[in-house]
Amino acid sequence: MDEQGRQILAMLAEGKITADEAERLINALERVQPEGPAGTGPRGKSRPRYVRVLVNSDDDGSGDGPSRINIRVPLQLLRAGVRLTSLVPPQALTRANAELVKRGVPIDLTELKPAQLEELIDQLDEVMIDIDDPGSKVQVFCE
Amino acid sequence: MIPQLVTMRYRRPDGRWRRLWVPVVPVALVLSPLLLLAVVGGLIVGRCYGISPSGALRGAGRLLWALPGARFEIEDGRTALRIRVS
Repeated sequence: MDEQGRQILAMLAEGKITADEAERLINALERVQPEGPAGTGPRGKSRPRYVRVLVNSDDDGSGDGPSRINIRVPLQLLRAGVRLTSLVPPQALTRANAELVKRGVPIDLTELKPAQLEELIDQLDEVMIDIDDPGSKVQVFCE
Repeated sequence: MIPQLVTMRYRRPDGRWRRLWVPVVPVALVLSPLLLLAVVGGLIVGRCYGISPSGALRGAGRLLWALPGARFEIEDGRTALRIRVS
């Protein structure tokens, strides 16, 4: 996403514009910046490097005022973290599996391979989560 | 590249900001004896639990190298904490 796109998202996050206005602006931006060669699209120019999590919530009545969370995590950091999972000894995974089953979550962690997790992270650049709730807004996207 | 500077900003409930700049390399150099002890201790514990020491060091190094660019900003009312790694 380019700088103008980021500005639009920032304005949306700050509540300066509505989601409809942001959509119109992004559409206008895409019209001004025609797509590159087939298949690349506006995102094809550069791969995203960060996962961004934005949370804005209004005052919950406690009088503390609004809350805001802005987290930017390098995708490389996620990859490095995922690679660390290969270090977890098999005995620990077996015990974790047993505990999960005991708590009603039958997930076999030994089936989770680092390569699969890395592939998952590689596909994260397409992820965009937008949750609009009265009083709070959550956005997760890559940039 | 390893992190060079960690910037922390903290806003207290009275609205005043506290800023802290941590130059990573000089601080790591000053604390290197303790860091060395921690690394050796970590490797021994890892060995006890069957974790490969070389893999653990490589993984920790990758994590460290990937940190620049990370940013955490949390605001709750008048209190705020901002951490940037560059």
